[in-house]
Order: sequence, then structure tokens, then C-alpha cells
Amino acid sequence: MNRQQAQDFIADILETPHLGELQVSLNGVHRLGTRFNDCAVSQNVLKMQTTLTLTARLELKKASVTINTLDDKAMIKSAIEQVFTTCAHMPDDEEVMPAMGEVLETKEYAFNAESEAIEIETIGAWAAAACTDGAAANIDLAGLLSLGKRFNAYGDSAGGFAYERYHRSDYHVTATGNNGSGWAEYQGVSIKQDNVMAATKRAIEKCVKAQNPEVFEPRPVTVILEPQAVGDLMAMAFWYGFDQRAKDEGRSALANYHETLGNISFYSDPAYKLFPAISFSSDGQALGKSLWLDEGRVQQLQTSRYWAKKNKLAVKPAPNNLILSGEGASLDEMIQSTVDGILVTRFWYIRSTDASTLGFTGMTRDGTFRIENGEVTHPVVEMRWNESVLRVLNNVVASGKPVATGEDISMIMPALKVEDFRFSSLSG
Amino acid sequence: MFDLLKQACDAATKEGCQFADARYLAIRKQRVLSRDLALSSCAESDDRGFGVRVLYQGAWGFASSPTYNAKEVEKVVALAMRIARASAMALREGGVKWAPEEALKLAFKSKCDQDPFKVSLEDKADLLIASNQVMLKNKSVKRAQGYLLFKRVQRWYVNTEGAELESDVTSSESVIWAIAVGKDDFQQRNWQAPASNRGFESYRKEEFLVQAERVAAQAEEKLSAKLSPEGDFDIVTDSENLSLTIHESVGHATELDRVMGYEVSMAGSSFVTRDKIGEFQYGSDKVTLMADNTLENGLATQGFDDDGVPGQRWEIVKDGVFQTYSTGREFSHYIGEERSRGCCRADHWSSIPIVRIPNLFLMPGKEPLSPDELIADIKHGLYFEGMDSFSIDQRRLNFQFGGNGVWEIKKGKKVGMLKAALYQSRTPTFWNACDATCDKNYWEPHGVMQCGKGDPLQIAQMTHGAAPTRFRKINICRGRN
Repeated sequence: MNRQQAQDFIADILETPHLGELQVSLNGVHRLGTRFNDCAVSQNVLKMQTTLTLTARLELKKASVTINTLDDKAMIKSAIEQVFTTCAHMPDDEEVMPAMGEVLETKEYAFNAESEAIEIETIGAWAAAACTDGAAANIDLAGLLSLGKRFNAYGDSAGGFAYERYHRSDYHVTATGNNGSGWAEYQGVSIKQDNVMAATKRAIEKCVKAQNPEVFEPRPVTVILEPQAVGDLMAMAFWYGFDQRAKDEGRSALANYHETLGNISFYSDPAYKLFPAISFSSDGQALGKSLWLDEGRVQQLQTSRYWAKKNKLAVKPAPNNLILSGEGASLDEMIQSTVDGILVTRFWYIRSTDASTLGFTGMTRDGTFRIENGEVTHPVVEMRWNESVLRVLNNVVASGKPVATGEDISMIMPALKVEDFRFSSLSG
Repeated sequence: MFDLLKQACDAATKEGCQFADARYLAIRKQRVLSRDLALSSCAESDDRGFGVRVLYQGAWGFASSPTYNAKEVEKVVALAMRIARASAMALREGGVKWAPEEALKLAFKSKCDQDPFKVSLEDKADLLIASNQVMLKNKSVKRAQGYLLFKRVQRWYVNTEGAELESDVTSSESVIWAIAVGKDDFQQRNWQAPASNRGFESYRKEEFLVQAERVAAQAEEKLSAKLSPEGDFDIVTDSENLSLTIHESVGHATELDRVMGYEVSMAGSSFVTRDKIGEFQYGSDKVTLMADNTLENGLATQGFDDDGVPGQRWEIVKDGVFQTYSTGREFSHYIGEERSRGCCRADHWSSIPIVRIPNLFLMPGKEPLSPDELIADIKHGLYFEGMDSFSIDQRRLNFQFGGNGVWEIKKGKKVGMLKAALYQSRTPTFWNACDATCDKNYWEPHGVMQCGKGDPLQIAQMTHGAAPTRFRKINICRGRN
């Protein structure tokens, strides 16, 4: 739906007689995806859907209903009745907030006209070209090349409205040889064949270097984490530790932590050019720039409207991207300054081990290398680590230039050089 | 409902497809969340649509739509054909090899005595808020929460071989949890009412209240619990804890698509290579792991899979020796099996089916053995209850799991709770360290409702189960340092 169509559709719904306050969300997706392994396509999927979410409020009661049969007016009418019926049966909740009622002038930072024009055959051809390169190098390639063309629209009976189109491309590829693997990705709102082929080349080169890894007995050591590893770790840290209410109520690692976290800055900004994101939330709140760590100093964390009102704080909605500042050091510079260390391509299966210290565990994956006296000397067998993000941020001694990463949420992360990172056991 | 699906298959046949199938799904969900003495959310959804999968000159094409009429069916088949042609640009040698299957006409309905969608919201609120009230009576508990999730999936399936299948499956899940806050720490303890293909009848308020009091007290106890010791210890896992270990270290490891590299880019591969069939000592002779997609109330019991293959029961590990994999029709030929094990499932009408873990459980011990007797034979060890931190490598070898409640065992008795305890092992080492599992009187099923796999990610559900089980000399480490 374009802006006018979405606006008309929402207006029709809001004009349908209903009992109380009504919020309407439309989410449209047109997603092309080609998945391949062993240098051959295994899945090729086109997903097209628009969902409609109706949220009803009756004073301190709230409920929602989502449907996807948008061409059936009777069903939409029935859904409106259903959501108010459910709402009427909800017990009161003092945390229920009224609809935003604001008209947002959105700028579609993440819309890309070239992405809009890409069709499934193009995606398929690019994936096939990548597979050809893998086959020529005698290396198995497996990956996903996908492009999502999306829009979100929001309207409410208090007069609020917002609409935005956005794109999200994701290419990640694993190259596997006889005894070792490499990995690379391209993330962004736009994508070209050059991006796909360059990532494929990086994965193949890393795979070649990763063959026949040697055992490095796990111990605390300096690590250089490439951006994907940093992004995975920071995303987990954010969802586990960066909520203001949890902090205020003692349910967050940051509740009892009063020191700085190194000197790095951590923030969100939908307008960030390298990897922009949609600029409003599903309930019609505008998303601006939010600073979470200012040169290591903890700022006000994400804060719901209820908590902000109760405690006279600014509202800070959940963000759509995460950005970690970097000093711009190159990977080579970080390696050259490392006497005894490990270079990590990516992490895998990060899970919380202790929420009260922001402790996590995870594995290295697809290309882990030994650094000795300023040089990468050989690949090493993958390892598990157990580490606190609080320690990691305090132990950062160098950082790179932020780049786009992150499969679930848009992330812009630099490589980090971190001292005393605790590897705990061997994998592989 | 079948007519338009047949129309899709007929159209695909006319286009020259080797095989095609069409599925229509109606998915209804209700998720009710509680926060302290309020319901923080009630979200309902009704999601309908169909997908058409075509196999054309050895390549797959798949397209889908929420609009279900003759014109749209025609359009979606054409799209699926277009996509199959695009897929053929990088074709696997010889193309897809498709295992034969008898074309059945059958209908499956899961058991549901009390339709959760007909139970009043007041009754659901009462269950959750009453539980929260009990948890909040404990002064250390600063946050009590819970949720109920109900799902009904109605499915109609037709393929070009003549299968006409329909299923109607209702699933339920609930969890309550307490967060206790101390001076410089906070701890969470939860109870999961085992998720299953059942209705609201599986939830009894009396049980919720008893469990609420227990988890609140244990959340408080965790605050002052001592940190776990580290080193090699004997451990006992309860049914729920071991269910997740079975899921991660056996269920995923024995999915044949992973073994063949189809998941390398995301979920990973597997150490259980094909040369291990019938040879590999996966575990001790106490370990028999049964797959059973006919298990009553099992979350993967859905009558048939999304390849049109009925649910089956088979041994994945027998007396410690690896037997065979979970498969779909595309994969059976890789291990010389003529028939699929019926494990291909899609999570949505817009998703393409992939191999999923079946209902999979550790068979109980044959000799009478109670949990007390199991623990009595441990001088110094740990008892793990419930699911917590879980992480495993992409080949399903190195894993590290926690427990939501962990106790120290001394001289054959549980003596006190521990904080931040984790057991870390390698899959075959762990299962070969199993020296006893309790008898069938202590066997319990536990459901997994959020199993992620695939790229794009798909979410599946399945049931695991075990009786309390003992493992000798397992590495214990701490999540807090």
C-alpha cells in the first residue's frame, strides 16, 4: 500500500462505529529470499502479506487483535467488535496509556528506490553467480540472499497517523572447505550484485585461511572481535540490561553498577546513513536519536511512556537500530599491536548466564585465528567463552570503523580489541 | 476447502511439474500476559492463507498468499513456477530426489476437552493474577509475571499424487515466574506448565497456586544461595532440564538436512555424519531415545507432516547406539531409506517446509528407580531443575546448560540451592556418562514451543521427555565470575 492507500484504509476502519479509543497498525511485507547450500539453490521463497492490528482502549483496559484478511470488510468489522469485547473483559491496568494522537512527518530514511525495483529473478541470478564462484574455488557455499520491501502505517482515533516504507537486504554466506569454514555478510537497505560478490569473495578467502585449525588451550586472552561478533553481543546486552524501569527496580545488571563502561558510546538513530531504520514505533511514537552510553557513562535507558510519566522522565521507546561508536582503527592495526591474541570472525548461540552481571556464554564460529607478535599465524579450533559485557566494555583498548551488521535488528558496529576475554572450552 | 488447492495442483501439473502441493492454513492464537496484579496484554490473532510448492525440472518454487480465491490461486501457481525457474539457475546435481509416499485421505484432530478460545478471559486472568498474588506475598519478590498461549492450527493439504489431508491441532502453553530482588542481586525462578497439544483442561488453578508459592520461595532462596562449585561432579537432571538437552544435543544433531549441509549458513551442521548409522556409541547402554510423532498430546503430533507423510515412531538411539535420523521426503535418499520419517513441517502458510525435530524422548529405566534412590548414590554433586541458559555449538558438540533451580547434593541428599551453576560437556561424552534414569513412574513430557530453525527463521513445536537421570563426572562451571 502506498501512503494514500494506507491512510484511506485506516480512515475507513476508524470511521467504523466503535466503543472507545482505537489504534490501527498496518504492516506490509514483500520479501524475496533465495537460500542455497552446496553451491545450489535449496529454497526460493516469495512472501507477500499485510497484517492489520487493532488495539482497543477503554479507560484502563486494553487489548489487541491481528488479522490478515484485509479484503474482507465483514471480517474487519468483526475484528473491531472482537477487540472491544475482549478489551471490556480485561481487568484494569494502571499502566495503560492513551493513543499517541500525533501526526508524524516521516522521512523514509530506509527507503531505497533501487531495492524497490529488484525482482526474484535478479536475486536468484545473484545467488547463482555466487554459487558459481564457490564451485570454481571448489568450496561449498551456503547462505541466504534476501530483500524485504516493507511498509508500516499507524493511525488512531485521537488523530494520530504515520506511514513509512523501508527496505532491508541481507546476504550472509558460509564457505566450507575440507577442514574449516569462513563467513561474510552484507547488510543494508540497498544491495547490488557487487555487494554479493564481494561478501562471497571475503567468505571464500576466510575459508581458505581457516583450514586445518590448531588447538589453542582456552584461557583469558586479548581478542579482536569483528563487527558481527560485537553486534551479537551488544544486542543481547541491550535487551537484557538497558531498560530504565528494570534498572530502577533492581532487576538489571546496571542497577548496582555505578562505574563507567569504558569510553565507548552506544546509541540508536533511525537516520544513521550507513544503516537507517524505520523512524516510528508500532504504537505511533516517533523514534529519534537516543544515547544509551555516552563515552562509557550510562544514560537514561529505554523508558516506556508509563514509566516516564510516573517518574518524570523522558520517553525513550525501544529502538530499531543500535550503533556503537568506533575510533576507526583498522583490523590490521589492531592485529599488529597484539602480541598474544585471538581474532574472531563471528559469534554463535549467545545466551545469558547471569543477568545480574550481564554475563553471557557463546561460541566462536566460521574463522577464528591465532595472533602472535602482531601477526595472524594460524587458524584455531572454535571455542566457547563465558564473559560479562560489563567487563568487555571496560576492557576495550581499540575500536574500528563502524559497519552495518545484524540480521534481526539493524546494527552499526566496529571491530573491538578487548583484553582478558575469557575463553573457557574447546569446540569443533 | 480442498477444491482450490486441487486447482493449484492441477495447474502446476499442466505446467509440467514433477510434483506440487498446496496447503491452506488458518492459525488462531491468543496470548495473555500478566504483570503483578494486572494483565499487561491480551493479543489475539487470526492468520489465514495458502502456499503452493512446485518441483519443476528438479528445482523448488514456492509462493503464497492470504487471499484465497480461484484467480489468486492461478496467480500464486504462476509465481511459484517463476520462482522454480529462478531456482534452476543453480541446480543441485540431478535435482531434488523425492521419496515416494502413498497418497492418503485422512483427517486428524488433537484432543482438546476444553477449547481455550471459549474459556472466558476472566478465567484466564484469574489463573494468572491469582498466581502472581501468591508470588508477591513473598516480600523478596518484586515482580511476578505469567503468560498463557493458545494456538489452533487448521490445515488442509493436497498434492499432485492425490493426497487429501486435514488436521486441527490445539496447543497450550503457560509459564509463571517470580523475580526476587536483594541488596545487590536479583534472581528469577519459574514454573512451566508442560506445553502440549491439549486445551485449557491441562491447567488447574490449584496446581498454579502451589507452584507459585514454591517458585517465589526458591527465587528468594536463590538470592542468598552460594555460588556453584567448579570442577567435575556427578549431576542429576530433572525431566524438564533434560528435555532441553535432548532437544539441543540429539534432536537438532540428528536432523538429516543439517547433516547434508542445508542449514550450514544459519543453524549449522552436525557431528552425526552418515557413517555413524548403526555404529556410533552416542550414549551409554542406558540411553534409548525414541522419536514419536504419534505421541498422544505431543506438540509435533499433527497427523501428517507438510510433505504429506503420516506421523511415525522410531528409535534414533537404541541402547546407546545411533540408529537413524529425522527426515523428509527430499532427504531420505541420502541414507538409502525409501520412505521419509515424516518430519518436514512449515510454521506458516507462507513458509516452505523444512526438517524439524519430532517428539523425542529418553526412554525410562527398565528397573524400578526413584529420584531419591538416584540421588542417594551421589557423594557430592548437583541437581538441575528446569530450563535456563542453554548454548551449543553449530555442530552440536560443545554444549553448556544451566538450570532454573540448582541444588547441591551432599552425601546423597539435596542440601541447598546454588547460584550460576552450568554444566558443560560434549554430546557423546555427556550421553556416555549416563549411568541411570528413573523408571516410568517418574517420566514426564515437556514441550518446546519456540524451536527456531531455518533461514529465514521458522518456529516449530515438539515434545520431549525424560525421567530424572544421572550423569557421572560432568564439568561444572559458573555463569558468574
